[in-house]
Amino acid sequence: MIRLYNQSKLIQKREVLQMIKITKPQVEAELQTFLGAEAYIHSEATSFVFVRNFKVRVTDVFIAGEGPFRAALRFDGHGWLRMEALTHYEADGSGRLLLAGYDDRGRMNVALHLGKEPFPE
Amino acid sequence: MRKLLAVFAHPDDESFICGGTLAKYASEGVDITLVSATRGEMGRRMGNPPYLNRETMAAAREVELRQACECLGIGQLLFLDIRDKTVEFIDEERLTARIETIIHEVNPDVVLTFHETLGGHPDHCAIGKAATAACRRTGHQGALYFITFGDAMARPERYGYTRKDVIRIDVQAHLAAKLAAFRAHRCQTEIDEWVWLPDQEALAKFGRHEYFLKADREAPTRDPYDLF
Repeated sequence: MIRLYNQSKLIQKREVLQMIKITKPQVEAELQTFLGAEAYIHSEATSFVFVRNFKVRVTDVFIAGEGPFRAALRFDGHGWLRMEALTHYEADGSGRLLLAGYDDRGRMNVALHLGKEPFPE
Repeated sequence: MRKLLAVFAHPDDESFICGGTLAKYASEGVDITLVSATRGEMGRRMGNPPYLNRETMAAAREVELRQACECLGIGQLLFLDIRDKTVEFIDEERLTARIETIIHEVNPDVVLTFHETLGGHPDHCAIGKAATAACRRTGHQGALYFITFGDAMARPERYGYTRKDVIRIDVQAHLAAKLAAFRAHRCQTEIDEWVWLPDQEALAKFGRHEYFLKADREAPTRDPYDLF
């Protein structure tokens, strides 16, 4: 007989916030580490589209706005990728920069990830 | 020992849709195996406030699902390692064959999956279609039931079904386990204030029954209130 009714009391609301709010100088510096390099891109906007592991050679990086922020990449001499509504980021220490835009209830609207290696498929 | 196999698409399907029923049968000693096609890594809810990103989500949701399985009494958990939102693009024959293999290994008395058109999400419909085909091939069609949402099948006529196609499970005695499982899936439920109300208030939000559709409509129903 498995009875775990008390578990509902044990699971309390968490208070730690792990994603970091974007500050322009930090994110700009992180973006610049991809300049002139090949990068793998994961990008998505709400539920409508995602692309994963586009490989591009990044030639220019931009971040703009006062929050939420806009970011753009130029790549391969002829390409653009632009996203807006970015709010949070994480540089996860393994050559990956993860930018994301959340609404005020934690739902992700947009994501722009750059990696030196492919993201797990 | 009675055995139940649930073949679903995302972590939380088992808790949100039929958690009371799984908890009920687990409490009666039924051995439950859950197959989750994906790790739900493309979900939009990232905690509230957000603590996940796209790259951390798969591992976090796996941990949350394992905790939910403990809450419900699910003994075995298998992943098919398909990327969230791509189940319908996986080769159908290979997917069916994989589920067939699992059915052979588990040899369940009851199989639960999604209805292939009423599933409500492309991943749900795709895994339901493959699981249904697998059950047909292994001769388990009589054991197969489709999970349904909320009270929709209290009036099955709207969907072209009759009362005799529906099994209604009373989960009143297992709502605490269901609530614990909801809370285990915290990145998905933190946005829903009612889940985090004091236990008695949160429990009052659940319906008393969960409903299942018989896959084999011709088979006689032994008991309209029991899947076994």
